[in-house]
Amino acid sequence: MSEFRPILRPVLGTKQAVSSATLRLSPLPEGTIIHVLARPGEEDMVPFLGSLAKTAAHAVRPVSPGQWFIVGEEPMPHKEMKSLFAALEPRASGVDQSHGRVRIRIEGKMASRALSKGTALDLDPSAFSVGQSAVTLIGHIAAHVTRVGSEAFEIIVLRGFAESLWDDLARMSLEFS
Amino acid sequence: MASLVPCPNCGRRPKEEFTIKGAALKRPAAGADASEWFDYVYLRDNPRGAYEEYWHHTSGCRRWLILTRDTVTHEVAACRDAADGSRLEERT
Repeated sequence: MSEFRPILRPVLGTKQAVSSATLRLSPLPEGTIIHVLARPGEEDMVPFLGSLAKTAAHAVRPVSPGQWFIVGEEPMPHKEMKSLFAALEPRASGVDQSHGRVRIRIEGKMASRALSKGTALDLDPSAFSVGQSAVTLIGHIAAHVTRVGSEAFEIIVLRGFAESLWDDLARMSLEFS
Repeated sequence: MASLVPCPNCGRRPKEEFTIKGAALKRPAAGADASEWFDYVYLRDNPRGAYEEYWHHTSGCRRWLILTRDTVTHEVAACRDAADGSRLEERT
C-alpha cells in the first residue's frame, strides 16, 4: 500500500487577508457548495430550492438557466446531503462541489473598483443589485460573482484556480490598501 | 466590432467570454442523401451581410446561442438561446 496520504487543507488557509479602511479581501470557510442541475423543462425551481435550503445558513445562487449553487459556511454532514439529494429528485440532481470550488469575499467601499479591473461585468448597483449572481471572467479565470451586500461580493472559483485568482485579486487591491 | 454580445441569459458581455462555433445551418433530415449531408458538414458560404452562427458562452452561462451578425459591420441584430423555439420542438 502506498505511503502517500492526501492531506485536506484549506487552499487559501495560508493567505493573509488583505485589509484596509476601504477594502477587505478574505477567504471564506470551505463549507458546502452543491451544484444543482434541473431536468429540462422544469420551471419555478427557485421557491422549491429555497424551501430545501431553508436553514438560514444555506443560500441559493443562480448559475445559469436550470443551474444553481447551494452554499453554506459549514460542511454538510453526509447524511444531510444524501437526504437533500433525494429531495431534489426527480426535478433536479445535486452534485457535491464542496471540495471542488472555493469561496472568496471582497468587501468595502473600493471592492467594486478593484473587481472591475479584472471583469467586464457591470458592477453598478443599478445593474447588479444585492443577491444577483453572474458567471464571468476575472482576468482569464472563470468565476461566479455574487453581490452579497451593498459593498460586498462573494466569488466562487474552481479550487485549482483559487490561489491564482487570490493573487490576482490581491494585486488588484494593492492600490486601495 | 461585435465586442459586446447581448447574451439572453447574462446580458451584454465581452466577446472574450464566447467561442464562435460556425454557421447555424438547418440540419438535414436523417435520411437525406449524401450530397445534402456533404453540403451540411463541409461546405460554407461566405456571405456579405446578415449571418447566423453558433456562439458558445464558454465563460458565462455555458449555453449555446444563435447570433445574427452582419459580416460587414459586425453589428449584432439578434441573439437567442439555441434551445429556444422550434429547435427544441424538433428535438423532442
